[in-house]
Amino acid sequence: MINSNYTAQVTPGIQLLSDSQKEEIHSATLELLRRTGVKVLVPEVRDLLKKAGCWMDGELVRIPPHLIDWAIRTAPSRVVLCDRIGNPAMELEGRKGYYGTGSDTPFVIDAYSGKRRKAVLDDVGIVARLVDALEHIDFLMCMGIASDVTAEISDLYHFREMIRNTTKPIIYTAWNRKNLEDIIEMAEIVSGGAESLRRKPFIALYSEPISPLTHANDSCEKLLYLAGKGLPVVYTPGLMIGGTGPVTIAGALVQAIAEQLSGLLITQLIQEGTPVIGAGGILLMDMSKGLISYAAPEFMIATTAISEMYHYYQLPIFSFSGCSDSKSFDQQASAEGALWMIISALGGGNLIHDVGYIESGLTASYQQLVCMNEIAALVKRFMRGVEVNQENIALDVISEVGPGGQYLSHEHTYQNFRRNWIPELFNRSSNEEWKTEGALTLGDVASAKVQQILETHKPQAISKDVSDALDTVIKKAENRVK
Amino acid sequence: MSDTLSTISTLIIEGKFADMISITNAALEEGLSADKILNDGLMPGMDHVGAEFKVGNLFVPDVLYSAKAMQAAMTIIRPLLAETGVETAGKVVLGTVKGDLHDIGKNLVGMMCEGAGFEVIDLGNDVDPEVFVEAVKEHKPTILGMSALLTTTLGAMERTIKILEGAGLRDKVKIMIGGAPVNQDFADQITADGYASNAATASELAKELSK
Ligand code: B1M
Repeated sequence: MINSNYTAQVTPGIQLLSDSQKEEIHSATLELLRRTGVKVLVPEVRDLLKKAGCWMDGELVRIPPHLIDWAIRTAPSRVVLCDRIGNPAMELEGRKGYYGTGSDTPFVIDAYSGKRRKAVLDDVGIVARLVDALEHIDFLMCMGIASDVTAEISDLYHFREMIRNTTKPIIYTAWNRKNLEDIIEMAEIVSGGAESLRRKPFIALYSEPISPLTHANDSCEKLLYLAGKGLPVVYTPGLMIGGTGPVTIAGALVQAIAEQLSGLLITQLIQEGTPVIGAGGILLMDMSKGLISYAAPEFMIATTAISEMYHYYQLPIFSFSGCSDSKSFDQQASAEGALWMIISALGGGNLIHDVGYIESGLTASYQQLVCMNEIAALVKRFMRGVEVNQENIALDVISEVGPGGQYLSHEHTYQNFRRNWIPELFNRSSNEEWKTEGALTLGDVASAKVQQILETHKPQAISKDVSDALDTVIKKAENRVK
Repeated sequence: MSDTLSTISTLIIEGKFADMISITNAALEEGLSADKILNDGLMPGMDHVGAEFKVGNLFVPDVLYSAKAMQAAMTIIRPLLAETGVETAGKVVLGTVKGDLHDIGKNLVGMMCEGAGFEVIDLGNDVDPEVFVEAVKEHKPTILGMSALLTTTLGAMERTIKILEGAGLRDKVKIMIGGAPVNQDFADQITADGYASNAATASELAKELSK
């Protein structure tokens, strides 16, 4: 048989922008950078931009379009992050998506008491162990911001705590360049040297331009250091629509992309080929509360649309998911989180973060995290779509069973039923059985799962030598800030 | 109430800032005192806006338009109030602390305070403790407002208060703080005079503190 032009498998996706609209947005972005420009607060970076041919006006830098197009072509379209051991773990390219947590929440919901309290260093260890154990959470951001260590260098403590408790890739934050240098020193110790870290990076920095249209001191300094070393960086704005960006999504997209792409240009001028993960957060400012929403439909639309733009550029994408504005792990938290999980999967972002955030990024919820792990499994099932082939159409089986028969005991059922999703936390039992088992809510089950992981899961430890060397870096830093 | 005063209230509620200068001048020509314009025209309008915002009938941009209208009228009547010795809401010196670039919350607080009749001196973000102290010396505000969104920058608030104490200025000004990781406990701990969890309560607190 000849079967020409057959498409083997279609998985679902969404499309919000047409090709013409993407071109229109890109062209507006280039025009914004040409006409209005961006502020760059560090002279060394301004010099680079000037040498490349930008138009300078004090701190304001206007960028000719060809430079942006050059940066898009020069930056890698794929960034591979490894695990702590050095095995490839995430291929950030195309429409391959990976879920992970978020960073730096001042509060957490305690794993045992269920009370909201200030985050401590132990919470960073807890979230790292959870991520290490959860099958569908692929990378770690620190979640809690430790209130019980020296504040100036809490980022160093976060980093060490994450290293100690997971082998999965880490997206970290750094308060300033000096701290970043210390963190990279730690990462090089873990990886076995600078060359090894560059070849098999298991970490990427998360840093951002400041909307509107500013590359601030710390942002530039961090780029200078990391791009200088050719190490991966997520450089994406956190724009608030109607606050630090236009209230209309199209305008917010243009501004956010201009901020990101001008940052991309900076990295490629520092060192061509520096791995950068782009796109950006376009959050809604809620105009009745005057606060930020992490689960507004506008945020979801904007995230999907900016992902489409970065598919068009063929650049890796930072995206959002599994987060909520709710103050506790409740119906709202799971509804918003679940909606995000499917939308971000359909949108095709690569590094999909903030899973487990509640209270618009101010609080970390472990229950939310394990619940979203469950939903990730469900979403992955959905995303496989319909696998159409002879084996699955199963004409022979249908004939064999025939009218009035049954499939339950058929070999085909036995061979294939496990390919359908089997929930771990979601309850499908009868009312009777549910009652007998204690009439547990999803919150109860999620808490139990959190506690079970914390009590049983042992992540792969780092060696004593490495551990001691990390401690030395932190001791040095303590002395530095004393 | 005079028609002009009720028109002033309505224009404030509708945020018609472009019309404020002419209506305020008209009221003065009618012989209404600056004091009366403020307390029987502008303030009732703003109070209504505040109340409607609280129950969710008005939104941030509505309130900011009203605040702009208030500001426009105040540019005319503030000097007159000063001449006649009428107490106005006073001055707020405001900024986001050293090392912190989060400024939208602070901006919102500033605009709300302007809406409440305060003159606001905004020092921007990443403000050194010394710069706050200098501004207190220079502007002699009733309120010093500091905003911080980062755990790492909260300490800068305490440092600013210490330096104010050192300069003998602490009892000359009321200190109000806010920002997502800030709470009442922290305010007590660093001996700030007040903490507000959002911009609307911040302007109320500012009024309270200036009494
Ligand atoms: C004087 O009296 C008063 C009284 C009341 C006052 C007051 C003063 N000030 C505020 N209020 C109160 O009234 C306001 C209105 O009702 C309210 O103000 P808010 O400011 O709370 O609310 C605003 C109206 C809207 N909210 C905001 O503007 C903040 C929103 C979130 C998402 C946020 C944003 C947008 C940004 N951020 Co950043 N950011 C987060 C925020 C998470 C969150 N949900 O808060 C937070 C605050 N950020 C955080 C972090 C870690 C960071 N951020 C950073 C950067 C940024 C952006 C530049 C991307 C952007 C800010 C842009 C800008 N121009 O402001 C970095 C630091 C940069 C710096 N040096 O400042 C960076 C360090 C991240 C990094 N990778 O480097 C976290 C803080 C953790 C901590 N406690 O230390 C964070 C909670 C998010 C998170 N989980 O990571 C009240 O608090």
